[in-house]
Amino acid sequence: MVETRFIQRITEGALALLCCAFSLFAQDEKELKPVTRTYAITNVNVVQAPGKKVDMATILIKDGLITAVGKGVTIPADAVVIKADSMYVYAGFIDGLSRAGVTKPKEEAGRDRVKDPGNPAPERAGITPQNDVRNSLNASDKLIEDLRNVGFTVAQVVPYGNLLPGLGSIVLLSGKSADQMVLISNSALYSELSGANGVYPNTTMAVMAKWRELYRQASQAKSYQSLYASNRIGLERPGSDRVLEAFYPVIDQRIPVLFKSEKMLDAHRIITLKNDLGFSLMLADVKEGWPVASKIKASGAKIFLSLDLPEEAKKDDKKSGGKSDKKADSTKAKEVTKPKTAADLERDALEKRKAEAIANYTSQASVFNNAGVSFGFSSLSAKPKDIPTNLRRMIAAGLSEDAALAALTTTPAQLLGLSDRMGTVENGKMANLVISDKSYFNEKAKVRYVFVDGVMYKQVVKEENLPAGQAGKSDPNAKVEIEGSWSTVTQTPQGSNDGKVTFKKDGSGYKGTISGGRMPAPADLTSVTLEGNKLSYSYSLSFGGNSIKVDVEATVEGDSFKGNASIGPRGSFSIEGTKNPKN
Amino acid sequence: MKKLFVLLFSSFILLGAMAQVDRGNLLIKNGTVITITKGNLEQTDVLIKDGKIAQIGKNITAPAGIKIVDASGHFVMPGIIDAHTHIALDGINEGTNPITPEVNESDVINPFQIGIYRALGGGITTVHAMHGSANAIGGQCETIKLRYGTFDPEVLKMDGAPRTIKFALGENPTRSHGEGSGIVPRTRMGVEFVIRQAFTEAKEYSEKWNQYNKSKLVKGFRGAPPSYSYRHEVLSDILNDKIIVHCHSYRADEIYMMLKVCKDFGIKRIVFQHVNEGFKVAPELAAQGAMASVFSDWWAYKFEVYYSTAYNAAILAKNGVVTSINSDDGEMMRHLYHEAGKTQKYGGLSDEEALALITINPAKQLGIDNRVGSLEIGKEADIAIFKNHPLSIYGVPMFTIVDGVIRFDREKDPDDMRLMVDPKQAIETATFRDKLSDQDHCMEGAEFILDSELFNANKK
Repeated sequence: MVETRFIQRITEGALALLCCAFSLFAQDEKELKPVTRTYAITNVNVVQAPGKKVDMATILIKDGLITAVGKGVTIPADAVVIKADSMYVYAGFIDGLSRAGVTKPKEEAGRDRVKDPGNPAPERAGITPQNDVRNSLNASDKLIEDLRNVGFTVAQVVPYGNLLPGLGSIVLLSGKSADQMVLISNSALYSELSGANGVYPNTTMAVMAKWRELYRQASQAKSYQSLYASNRIGLERPGSDRVLEAFYPVIDQRIPVLFKSEKMLDAHRIITLKNDLGFSLMLADVKEGWPVASKIKASGAKIFLSLDLPEEAKKDDKKSGGKSDKKADSTKAKEVTKPKTAADLERDALEKRKAEAIANYTSQASVFNNAGVSFGFSSLSAKPKDIPTNLRRMIAAGLSEDAALAALTTTPAQLLGLSDRMGTVENGKMANLVISDKSYFNEKAKVRYVFVDGVMYKQVVKEENLPAGQAGKSDPNAKVEIEGSWSTVTQTPQGSNDGKVTFKKDGSGYKGTISGGRMPAPADLTSVTLEGNKLSYSYSLSFGGNSIKVDVEATVEGDSFKGNASIGPRGSFSIEGTKNPKN
Repeated sequence: MKKLFVLLFSSFILLGAMAQVDRGNLLIKNGTVITITKGNLEQTDVLIKDGKIAQIGKNITAPAGIKIVDASGHFVMPGIIDAHTHIALDGINEGTNPITPEVNESDVINPFQIGIYRALGGGITTVHAMHGSANAIGGQCETIKLRYGTFDPEVLKMDGAPRTIKFALGENPTRSHGEGSGIVPRTRMGVEFVIRQAFTEAKEYSEKWNQYNKSKLVKGFRGAPPSYSYRHEVLSDILNDKIIVHCHSYRADEIYMMLKVCKDFGIKRIVFQHVNEGFKVAPELAAQGAMASVFSDWWAYKFEVYYSTAYNAAILAKNGVVTSINSDDGEMMRHLYHEAGKTQKYGGLSDEEALALITINPAKQLGIDNRVGSLEIGKEADIAIFKNHPLSIYGVPMFTIVDGVIRFDREKDPDDMRLMVDPKQAIETATFRDKLSDQDHCMEGAEFILDSELFNANKK
């Protein structure tokens, strides 16, 4: 693998030398322009817009724009042809709120002690509406790639902070520099209802009071400035104020206020502010919006629902009797006949309510859709790799595929004022496209190509041993190799705990050692078994003469495993391992 | 500029109009009706129409289709009002500054708190959801009705109830700011100073605005408006009698100090909260029309609360001070009727006087006595129905009714009354040990040491 990459690099280098003698004298960093910016995607199912599909057509891309969509398109000689036989192409997805590419400030503002907590500097209070997110964009941030890999091409991004972190921009999930990324600057004034950690405004109620005061002061300052501009006689020269001036485009309704509104009560509170002050409003990262759908609709706010969902309730609990003990099988028969105790009934009732709650979160998008509220999606608090799964869960909970697609493409384009240039696969639109091998919402679908602004990103799809959809399941016939050193992360109520496990072949089986955590010295594993891809190992922790046995059971998949570490009856924690590269 | 501000403030008033409050129809049959203001009526019916009391009398004919509650042998009284609580709120103290009148609990009502339902279980129908006592001038409070079941915080608010604000004297503000941050106030003198200073600044602020608004009427006037301050706007509202002051206080000297401050700044409506030494200055309070909201017998939890007596409520009431008994506590709130009953043991108050402490008197202190606090025709149908007399130790609230809607029914009291369930929270159930006697008690109470070691081992 390493070798082939090396050879590839040499070849590329040689080609570059051949093509352009001047490059000998040019600087190493200088990028080569692509040979062509013309692409033809042939024989593909084009979903031009939700509900509008053209089968087996060709899409032509030239210089960053879609120049033709349909059948019988003549393919220019300079085009790179992508034979997308039976694949699906959609307009690139648009994300209403994200921090893709945004560098987190090194020092969390709000740790230093303030002399007079009632009157902190604006920066310490989280009041920096004049901050431009472009100043903290990093084009090589991994989140850009991660979001692009699941189909996103454009995102509205905002700075970090609490009350008024600053101005957002709409960016392409592509580009080599901050300025190359930016499509529209100052797209919204971003705000959160979160306090300033120990200084005024510390609580939500003070945040709201401060918001009102700043907005009214800004309205006042703005009026006075225009009065002064029209006739200076008899008036004091108005001073400059970066904080208040940042509100001016909001007061003029040239840009909206974009609020993070995760909880239902956040939405109520933000709409109260909007009603008090009259700005135009955008709500994003909405997770509990279903009971306030009509209020949000009445407020005229533009809305982006969160792509994060609570984890699904575990369904295998009952099968294993809630325990993963080896004894389970023998005691199972007895348990069945045992009447349920009061605690069992209580647990059942609580679990039922929890499952109902999870179902409510999952069906939020469907509720909004049925209520006739148009919405986009935002990825702010979602893990990119969960997004396709979460979309499928929303669809299973009643959202139509067309509505899901609309919320990823046409609706956000419209909400962000981008409909003229993106959101559909049409002649003249920006070449922002997602190509998947099956219909995007199919469980087995994989994204193969993403185009952002006409730049192609091809994805290498790993061929897996296990059939898709069965990943993670135990397979007694699987052949996996565990020998080597593994890094593990265990999730405990006190936080995550890193460790290191090493397995070595020992006759027909394995032996191993464990170190890390707060273990004083590496210890030998007391047992290691590997059946198919099912790995289990045990070891002892000792403290002041007491010894506690830890049992780990996990399923190995390639270079990683996932499972549980259980500590007698005291509890079971999830554990994940990754194989460390040799050397 | 004036137009702008008129616009800004008029938008304020429009709020709340959206909230959709449930109002019910109900006929309560054949109970002993304790009206509070007009004596007790035996074997009497109460008819509720559209959330209000429409008729009180014997053998009222039930309108077609109306829900009937049989109160035979039961006591029907006005819903209990608690003038000092911190329930249904996300955030109690903006403790960063000694003066924070601009913050408002109205903004952070949380209708999902289970404490609301528990309070209903104690016959409570209306509470004063207050800012805390960290600041000399704290935040504005909200009078809420316990319409538990709504998802909309606006619905909990008692629309049209007067604005109120929390003040605090003594150890809490001096500890928070003087000791905590090393700023004024560090002493009781300091507390008086910051309050007087705030009011003085507010007077200057409104004078500046008045002058500016007056000058603007003169043709050809040119000048800059004074700088807008939300804090001083609210302080001016206090000085202009638009907000009732509820002042946390314990000692007689500081209560008397605050009475003088009110006189100096023309503040007419003040309710002292806790007021443990109120009995020492009862005539002075009565003379100035100041009211008092006290605990029945809770004291000695800090130095300034040592000089206290269970006779406080009775002494204040007998001296003509409008007095209420409050809980300031989610647990005590559930038996405020017992707390009121203690004034019969300590002070010999009559049933009527004792019950007034938790009904019409707190209503007066919140400025809502024209709407709730007694059972009268035209008043809002907030009612508690008790098995046994509410002042009896055997008194048990059976039904709690808000605006004619039954919000608590002891016979239909499900286990799980949560409105919102956290989808990420781990399921926890109560565990019981059956055979305690069989177990080894050597390490009882010290298990946490073992556990903590275990958890430490798992930590990094």
